[in-house]
Amino acid sequence: MDKALYIAMSGAKHNMRAQTVHANNLANVNTTGFKADFARARSMPIYFGEGHPTRAYALEEIPATDFRQGPLVETGRDLDVAVEGDGFIAVQSPDGTEAYTRAGSLFIDALGMLRTGNGLPLLGNGGPIAIPAADKVEISGDGSITVIALGQGVDAPVQVDRIKLVNPPTDTIQRGIDGLIHLLDDEQGELPADGNVRIISGFVEGSNVNAVNELTSVMSLARQYEMQVKIMQTVKEDSEASARLLQPAS
Amino acid sequence: MHAALYVSKTGLAAQDTKLTTVANNLANASTVGFKRDRAVFEDLLYQIQRQPGAQNTEETQLPSGLQLGTGVRVVGTQKQFDYGSLQVTNQPLDVAIDGRGFFQILQPDGTIGYTRAGQFHLSNQGEIVDPTGLLLQPAIIIPDNAESVTIGTDGTVSARIAGVAAPAILGNIQTVDFVNPAGLQAIGGNLFLETAASGNPIQGIPGQNGLGQVEQGMLENSNVDIVEEMVNMITTQRAYEMNSKIVSTADQMLQFVTQNL
Repeated sequence: MDKALYIAMSGAKHNMRAQTVHANNLANVNTTGFKADFARARSMPIYFGEGHPTRAYALEEIPATDFRQGPLVETGRDLDVAVEGDGFIAVQSPDGTEAYTRAGSLFIDALGMLRTGNGLPLLGNGGPIAIPAADKVEISGDGSITVIALGQGVDAPVQVDRIKLVNPPTDTIQRGIDGLIHLLDDEQGELPADGNVRIISGFVEGSNVNAVNELTSVMSLARQYEMQVKIMQTVKEDSEASARLLQPAS
Repeated sequence: MHAALYVSKTGLAAQDTKLTTVANNLANASTVGFKRDRAVFEDLLYQIQRQPGAQNTEETQLPSGLQLGTGVRVVGTQKQFDYGSLQVTNQPLDVAIDGRGFFQILQPDGTIGYTRAGQFHLSNQGEIVDPTGLLLQPAIIIPDNAESVTIGTDGTVSARIAGVAAPAILGNIQTVDFVNPAGLQAIGGNLFLETAASGNPIQGIPGQNGLGQVEQGMLENSNVDIVEEMVNMITTQRAYEMNSKIVSTADQMLQFVTQNL
């Protein structure tokens, strides 16, 4: 068979995969703290055997996640926190290890544990954070949690814990399959808290998906896909023509 | 089939759910004691097609991988228990809680429901009941010869009886609080039920131990912010449109390949 057919097929197949990446970004255009994925295609040339090195297959990949700041959305709720600038909030992932997130819509469960909107416990100075029954909970810029205990006056605020905030270099982290941020090198274990990360209470961070970029990429990928199909069609016509030429005259 | 179709389907479904919560919030913009909901979104699992950091050859590693996300879902709705504004009505049986706390309402099945809607009425027996006729707990009976009823900020209900100089104390309205009010189950009729997530009710006297004072002649308005909901509606609609654009693009790609090959 004509090798162009396979090359066009690899192009079309990876165009479709890229569409999935952009579809996932757009599906999360309203998800709190979501970070968009980049997508790119890489050429994988084939230089084996005899002949002229003409073939290069396409390979779609996600080189990185876009960790840029999303828009801060004011909610006025004390337990909504957004990270300002670089950094992450440390949470305990379902398997018990430390993971990181920027989705800071928090709540206090029946046992007084501070959890993220999807139920993961936040980590403080020494493990998960417990908050006593309180009139008011304040979270300050460095993650310190101050409460005014039930029945106590406003003049008796108590600092209970401090949310662990970290700031790893973006080339040492990746998004895991659970959607949380994990360290690339698992053996490094846990990151030290970083005192320079700032959070702001009363805000949540919106998704940093750039909808216009994503839609433009989707359209351009759709056209590229059509071009790949066009090549396949041309190959088909070519092979039909040669089959006709080679038929014995009747 | 095309994975992007399923991914954008989750996007459409999540925006749909969000619009439902926005619609319910707006529908209850004038409901006394209503607490608005907020949809909480979460990205779904990622599928690893190529593992970043895997060995490409014995000597080299793949510098980056391909992890395809599978979309988004609404992981839950969060009740927002911030306070609504207080509205003066001057009705003696309208009571609002200024701060934390819930009134207790006896349900027909004997359990207790909790509410912040303090629009109370009198039954034909003189009992204080909610607008649907369910009894306020602890039960308070107003005698039929009472001239006026006063509810103190600590929940003490007293009445002036014709011909008697000293007011008669009829009972106390007690309120309850929860560690996690957002975990209460809303059952409609302005009522909430205790759940494992909310914790046990902690009963107390209004104005003490962190419970808010009760204010007679006032009602707590819905805490729905119309402008915020309208903005949420617009962003939801646009996100919906973009996701449906992906569905149609993916469909066109499939259509193109089936028609041309």
